[in-house]
Amino acid sequence: MTIFEKVEIDKTMNGIRHFSVRHAKSLSVGACLLVIAASFGARAAETNVSADKPTSMRISSSQYRRTIADIFGSSIVITARFEAETRENGLLAIGALNNSVSEDGFERYYEIAKDVAAQVTDKRHRAVLIPCKPKSATAGDEVCARKFLATTGRLLFRRPLKNDEIQALVAVSKDTANKKKDFYAGISTSLIDLLISPDFLFRYRNIEPDPARPGHFRLDSYSKAAILSSFLWNSNPDDLLLKAAENGSLQTDKGLAMQVDRMISSPEIESGVRAFFSDMLGLDQFDVLSKDAKFFPRFTPDAKRDAPEQTLRTIVDHVVDRQGDYRDLFTTRHTFMTRALAALYGVPLVETTDNARPMRWLAYTYPEGDPRAGILSQASFVALYSGAGRTSPTIRGKNFRLNILCQVVPPPPPNVDFSLIQDITNPKFKTVRDRLTAHRSNPTCAGCHRLMDPVGLAFENFDSSGGFRTTENGVPIDTSGEWNGVKFSGPVELTKALHDDPAVTACVARKVFAFASGAMPSGNSAQWKEIQTKFADSHFNFLQLMRAIAVSDLLYSVPETRVSLLEHK
Amino acid sequence: MPNKFHNLLSVSIWMALPLCLNPIAAQAESRGYVIGWLATASYYTGDVKMGCPDGRNGGVVEMHARELEAIGFGKKEAVELQRKQRDTDAIVPEYRDKVYNRARINGKEGSVFTYPDFTSDPNVELYSGKYAYGFDLTGTAGPSKFEDPETHARVDNQLWRALGCINQYRTFPPQKPMLEDTSWDVFVDNAPAWTVQINGDDLSKDGKVTVTIGRATQHLLRDATSSTLRDATYIVDPASKTRNVLEGEIKDGVLTIKPAHIYLEGELPFYMDIELDNGHMRVNRQPDGKLIAYMGGFTDWKRYAYMSTARPFQDAAAIEGYHALKKVADSDPDPVTGQNRKISATFRWEAVPAYLADSKGNILASPDDLVQPQKVANNAAQ
Repeated sequence: MTIFEKVEIDKTMNGIRHFSVRHAKSLSVGACLLVIAASFGARAAETNVSADKPTSMRISSSQYRRTIADIFGSSIVITARFEAETRENGLLAIGALNNSVSEDGFERYYEIAKDVAAQVTDKRHRAVLIPCKPKSATAGDEVCARKFLATTGRLLFRRPLKNDEIQALVAVSKDTANKKKDFYAGISTSLIDLLISPDFLFRYRNIEPDPARPGHFRLDSYSKAAILSSFLWNSNPDDLLLKAAENGSLQTDKGLAMQVDRMISSPEIESGVRAFFSDMLGLDQFDVLSKDAKFFPRFTPDAKRDAPEQTLRTIVDHVVDRQGDYRDLFTTRHTFMTRALAALYGVPLVETTDNARPMRWLAYTYPEGDPRAGILSQASFVALYSGAGRTSPTIRGKNFRLNILCQVVPPPPPNVDFSLIQDITNPKFKTVRDRLTAHRSNPTCAGCHRLMDPVGLAFENFDSSGGFRTTENGVPIDTSGEWNGVKFSGPVELTKALHDDPAVTACVARKVFAFASGAMPSGNSAQWKEIQTKFADSHFNFLQLMRAIAVSDLLYSVPETRVSLLEHK
Repeated sequence: MPNKFHNLLSVSIWMALPLCLNPIAAQAESRGYVIGWLATASYYTGDVKMGCPDGRNGGVVEMHARELEAIGFGKKEAVELQRKQRDTDAIVPEYRDKVYNRARINGKEGSVFTYPDFTSDPNVELYSGKYAYGFDLTGTAGPSKFEDPETHARVDNQLWRALGCINQYRTFPPQKPMLEDTSWDVFVDNAPAWTVQINGDDLSKDGKVTVTIGRATQHLLRDATSSTLRDATYIVDPASKTRNVLEGEIKDGVLTIKPAHIYLEGELPFYMDIELDNGHMRVNRQPDGKLIAYMGGFTDWKRYAYMSTARPFQDAAAIEGYHALKKVADSDPDPVTGQNRKISATFRWEAVPAYLADSKGNILASPDDLVQPQKVANNAAQ
């Protein structure tokens, strides 16, 4: 019997996927984890019926945290790290389509699940989070257990649990409670089963026959609800959204629009906006960012922690609170600071609370003429895309094109000689502009560097940590360049030149769609044109772009390849 | 190391200021700093015999053993007590009881920290070297004068004479004397910072200046190397007792002040406060914008000694220092006993550039190590 066969048998026995995991627990630890990890892989493979359009996405670590907070409250603390996520085509959301769960990854999920379940059922939380009191605290109570597990399971699985699923969970809960003489231990065990289930850790796109178009398929309501909540709230569907899925209204244009409008007008939209921009700008990479403290002592742990948050606050303020033009994100003088960031940037920030503890976020506006403006002048960009000890206009230019313009620059050819660029002590080439100019004399390198370097050099006034400078090795820094025929000097002028470039708005639309769907939009369909038109007509209001995508059939379309495969089966 | 330090001082130049200024010099400038390093000004070259030819003090173990012998312990017993304590990080009760209670009040044991005058003078070797940092506080010549290693002036610093042969004080920057080092680490994260504001018409040139030493409402922030973070913003506490407005002058690149009373209120275990009569100050700006200063005057020697005696377990050489300070105190005799109550002393401090603001959000002073320091806080209206 293969591992996969074992998993399938478990599925048959219990009717739900996660019990393959629970039964596997009786095996040795190593074999258990192997079975479990394989079951995730099997499930992912099972649902990804088309190589180019897979239909399951592993939820991100931020979605996991957000979902737990939404269901159980923010006092449930998750302190562990999750398995790494994969970035593809510039987005983690696209990589999520191909994410499975490794043996180590499952172990982490299992530990996190145990920790969450222990907190939910502890004396501090149980009275609030478990909606009933057992007849006896020292024995199983099927009625109370069913009430909690059915309610919670529906929110975690993004759909109502089937009867046999509930029955199995209740049985496990009762069995454990009676053995341990603790009702809450039983609840905890079943909650762990829910939390390590693929039905929670993966979002699936399930299809069903489309009654309006005989012979065609559509996504089922729960899949649509899961897409919406993940996209707009970075979380699982709430009760109202699940009800809209249950009563079928989500399959109507009116019902869909009603839910989308409700979600966009909710404060929770901030979570979705944050999640998208964090992904688009690669802010997760701050986790592994380091700077040489000897050269950049102002890049403190506080500054590093606050840098991505500054950008997200700037974005939320601009696109959610002010409902501003997306393009102005790159020129806005409004931002937010902590004292640590202000010291990094060399600007004054008056914090009047006693001892300024903890550091507060304060609104800050750069004065007219200041060399900093817009999110690309922030450490979240200029420090993130630099080395530990020196800047890299090439990396900045590459990520500028990838993140902001959706332009992919090919990787460097093998055996490139970087010695000239890396030799910062060469008296002949005192600035990085000099070194890159010399490097571009190699025709093999010149093609790509011509794309990346001019834009990256515009940011050279910002050192590797995000601090401001005007010289390199005692030589004045030249930040001039040209964008679409417009000459600029420095990042502020570059971003002004960038303002009306249609590639900027076209790119963000494509990225938002990919964030929601897991794949870049293909072709230039009428539906896609309609989304872009709506975005432009709203004066590039970002929330209106989210709305246009969320109500578009394009987001919920079922690939023909998948339909034909299904019919073939 | 000492040579390196002296070289650093010798090249410290206010003359470098023009390099860091905006092209258009302001008519009136105001620069801000926070003190990120402060300690008793030690002068030590690394030569263990320097200024202490007898070399008889030894370490704390030897000093305490001698004191125990002086009150009747056998030599072996005294050394064994020391050994027991030295070999553990925990407090050995037997040691604590005997060593801490080596004061004798009418024949009864008492705490040396509560009754320092009821211990016999351990008579530690006093510093007899040529050099010490300081200032001429009396204007008169005398055998007790040292030569300042920077200015080569004849200076008063009896504090250094008392402590200069006690091991824990024989340090050179960036290391501070042991107790002060420990205390400073606590201070950085918990106590309000001391601020320094320098105002003048053109600080790149010689001329009159005003130096204001105050206290912030916030503690110091550390940078990624655990030193003091540069260019952070501090609010000057309007209610602080620390507010010294000092008349000063920059001459040949060195800032000095007109003698004045100086008071710094602290909240840290070692420096509860620093009060100087006839306070002097000499400030050098380093090429990187940092200030290194010496600040001297007459201070209450008992208050200085209390900073050590108030920390029993880290007693170190508290009682030895107490008696030495008492012996060489050189100012303000008690009208009844004749015992001098104040001692000439010098402290060294370093300050890094910072923004200083008032509690209403107005920027009072800007750092001078930035390419484009700002004059207005743009979050003031928030």
